[in-house]
Amino acid sequence: MRRIYAIARKEFIHIIRDPRTMIAVLIMPLLQLFLFSYAVSFDVKDLPTALLDQDHTAISRQYVDALKQSNYFTVTHNLTASSEIDGIFDRNQARVVVVIGPGFGDSVAAGRAGAVQVLIDGSEPNSAQLGQAYANGLSRIFGAKVAISQAEASGMDPAQAGGLTAKTRIWYNPEGKSASYLVPGLIVLLLTVMTVQQTANTLVSEKEQGTYEQLVVSPIHRIELMIGKVMPWAVMAALNIITISAIGLLVFRIPFRGSVALFALASFLFVLCVLGLGLLISARSSSTEVANQLAMMISFLPAFMLSGFVFPLASIPPALQGLSYLFPARYMTVVARTIFLKGGGWDVLWPQIAALAVYAVVVITLSALLYRERS
Amino acid sequence: MSTASQTGEIALDVRGLRRTFKQVVAVDNVTITVPRGEVFGLVGPDGAGKSTLIRMMATVLAPTGGDALVFGKSVRTESSKVKPRIGYMSQAFSLYRDLTVRENLEFFAELRGVPRKDMASRSAKLLEFSGLTEFAKRQAQFLSGGMKQKLALAATLISEPDLLFLDEPTTGVDPVSRREFWRIISGLHRQGITVFVATPYMDEAERCDEIAFMTQGRIILRDTPAGMKARVPGRVIEVDVSDYRAAMPIARSMPFASSVEVSGEHLRILVTRADDGVEADIRDALEAAGLRVDRIRPVATDLEMAFATLIPTATLPDRTIDDDILAVAE
Repeated sequence: MRRIYAIARKEFIHIIRDPRTMIAVLIMPLLQLFLFSYAVSFDVKDLPTALLDQDHTAISRQYVDALKQSNYFTVTHNLTASSEIDGIFDRNQARVVVVIGPGFGDSVAAGRAGAVQVLIDGSEPNSAQLGQAYANGLSRIFGAKVAISQAEASGMDPAQAGGLTAKTRIWYNPEGKSASYLVPGLIVLLLTVMTVQQTANTLVSEKEQGTYEQLVVSPIHRIELMIGKVMPWAVMAALNIITISAIGLLVFRIPFRGSVALFALASFLFVLCVLGLGLLISARSSSTEVANQLAMMISFLPAFMLSGFVFPLASIPPALQGLSYLFPARYMTVVARTIFLKGGGWDVLWPQIAALAVYAVVVITLSALLYRERS
Repeated sequence: MSTASQTGEIALDVRGLRRTFKQVVAVDNVTITVPRGEVFGLVGPDGAGKSTLIRMMATVLAPTGGDALVFGKSVRTESSKVKPRIGYMSQAFSLYRDLTVRENLEFFAELRGVPRKDMASRSAKLLEFSGLTEFAKRQAQFLSGGMKQKLALAATLISEPDLLFLDEPTTGVDPVSRREFWRIISGLHRQGITVFVATPYMDEAERCDEIAFMTQGRIILRDTPAGMKARVPGRVIEVDVSDYRAAMPIARSMPFASSVEVSGEHLRILVTRADDGVEADIRDALEAAGLRVDRIRPVATDLEMAFATLIPTATLPDRTIDDDILAVAE
């Protein structure tokens, strides 16, 4: 116990006395949080839009006005022929082209569905997806409005009236605010990167400094050494979870709908997992460079690509989906989003939490076994 | 020398210790015993395997074969019983650079289970002893080379080990600090602590109770410094000559010269003839070659000369492999 405390205390001194570590641990996560949330926002606003109105009726102009007022689209070009569309996309002058076909006004007036073609530049998938959703939503609202006024004028049952063809979409996140789904995922990503990176370095840097041999000649059990080394990082990780969550709630106004206790439990297990991963790297790396590279590979990439943080896991190739089970970020991302946004509890999250618990036990045991006392 | 060594207790019993790194044999069947209380010196060229040998005895490196018993406990199977009794100071500075002198001492005291009540008095004593009291609050990285080594020694001593392994503790340290360092070792010796020290310096080897010469992973000679020198057949004549480079081949060609060495600016010739006329013969031969002889006189044999003559040249390493390089390659 005394030896564990001595190691932990020494590690704290290392952290506190090294400005680079302090920045990496306390400032970087916050910086990244703001960067991701603002700069890499997935929110789409003011999509540059080109319009091709082939109908030229009062109703088509009404639709165009609704589009313009929506904030989501900024009409930058008014086209006169469909042959211009390719050029607009090629020169990146617009991401969306809305084509109102001839007869649109007549169809709506006649109580039938008016066809609007929405062409979207798919080269930026996020804007494409969201732009499509906005256009559909817009059509629906507009369609309903048109249909209702038509029905009133002709004394028909509104439900029977025609409208614009529209798809409905269900939002967990009604405003489509990306911070809400970014921040819970970011907690997982930032924590993985910081913890794995730092713990990966702890044992290796002792080896490089030559202090490792002094630890080896001391009567200290490897488990004591590992616990002592990991303790300060567990504290740092907890600090990070709290600050990032607090900023998420207070600055980005994301909701927290679930149980704090459940989130704390899952976070604790998750931190054990990433600490274990770091130790695993540290036990087997020959130098800090190797450790850093391994840490990057094992922490950042999977936590970014294979956690569902950016790409929904269902939409990635099956082989990568299988691979994603090997990294704890996948489970924790689900837990964090479910607790923050949906308020889900133990009944829905137990498989993920169980997975984290098993993962933690396996990875810590493995790193203890792989860590050799003597070379 | 001390009472402990006279009781015949064995501090270190090394039996056929061996270590290979892939194809390279770094330590090859080393067998030595060190009586308790002795200062035992290990000398030999770089790459002889000195560090590897010490690291195995200090439980840092696992042996490939053989064993070493420290106060009767095996480093292979009872390392947890060996560790509390030994201190090990590696060649490279191995303390925490960002911790202060006092924090380093306290850390190793805690780690090695020094009783809490003894900690303050022991660290005060060691700081005093190593002359570091006024630097107690300085971070280790801001100490001079000599102070760093003294701190490392102090940290090693905080647990009051019975056997101390020192791997070239004064390499890269200024002469004044070196002398001071050895004054500390003499103090430990008086307290009955057994010291096993590897050193490249012959003047340091001279201060040991016994020395072993290691080359190519083997210990090929072991004796007291006096015994080593006594083994040298003949006497040493020291010559100050105007151009000792030019003088070397001439001296070597003399039939009575069995070994010629350059020491500083002097030429040292080991002669097998016992008569006094040998000095005149050397002078004549050198002057005949057009060299000026400033001084010529018989001197006591030193260890350098002893090793030069006693070690068959065939056993000297044809390649130099640093222990550290081997350690990294493993």
